[in-house]
Amino acid sequence: MHRGLARKEKGIHWHRELQVEKMEEQVETVGRAFVNHYYNLFDNDRSSLANLYQPDSMLSFEGQKIVGVDDISNKLNNLPFDHSKHVVSTIDSQPSSFAGGIVVFVSGSLYLPGEDHPLRFSQMFHLIPAPQGGLFVQNDMFRLNYG
Amino acid sequence: MDPDAVAKAFVEHYYTTFDANRAGLANLYQEGSMLTFEGQKIQGAQNIVAKLTSLPFQQCQHSITTVDCQPSGPAGGMLVFVSGNLQLTGEQHALKFSQMFHLMPTPQGSFYVFNDIFRLNYA
Repeated sequence: MHRGLARKEKGIHWHRELQVEKMEEQVETVGRAFVNHYYNLFDNDRSSLANLYQPDSMLSFEGQKIVGVDDISNKLNNLPFDHSKHVVSTIDSQPSSFAGGIVVFVSGSLYLPGEDHPLRFSQMFHLIPAPQGGLFVQNDMFRLNYG
Repeated sequence: MDPDAVAKAFVEHYYTTFDANRAGLANLYQEGSMLTFEGQKIQGAQNIVAKLTSLPFQQCQHSITTVDCQPSGPAGGMLVFVSGNLQLTGEQHALKFSQMFHLMPTPQGSFYVFNDIFRLNYA
């Protein structure tokens, strides 16, 4: 009966765990960087969000389904407020089944001028590698969380 | 079948199973499945079910407020975004939660959960 793994096998297992850990960290790091970039654009340069979507991208915004970068851009640019501030509470990321893809799940608060209280929201992004490099938003779903 | 209807049916099945017999969730995950539960990362059906069956409550009831779904790509995957309430037996107030599932098709024509992220929504 096995007494234990040989030293070489133990080394390989440890290495593999470290690789998995590194990958997890990478996914979390990329997810976080993307989210911060996204809300920074949203709050400071909303029309530039168009660069993050492509013709096949999909957005569900409070239940309304919008497809394609042009219509998504239109929707976001025409929301009934000029200024906003997103403050993120949680960001969870996982690699998606799509090669190089990441699913990111965000919760946070949305401050709008003139509103007494911030709105709580949840949002999920499915990020896919873009042909030209970098990631774009393939899927985007946004919901306010009412108290 | 209409993707929205498929998503809704899956979500109902998932929470019904969760509320009645958590161990039964094992059929909905596979070895590569990932769960992030309130920030804790768990991988693989066995570990995921171990986590869910060891949550610190005997009975619970999920009630769904919103379900949004979108196809995730050419492989036939579906992303499902849920918000709702979680009532634990004995607790005065229900907890609010959001959850996202990334479902992948099985050869038998149903779906399993590849990505699962759960968060409580605090006020």
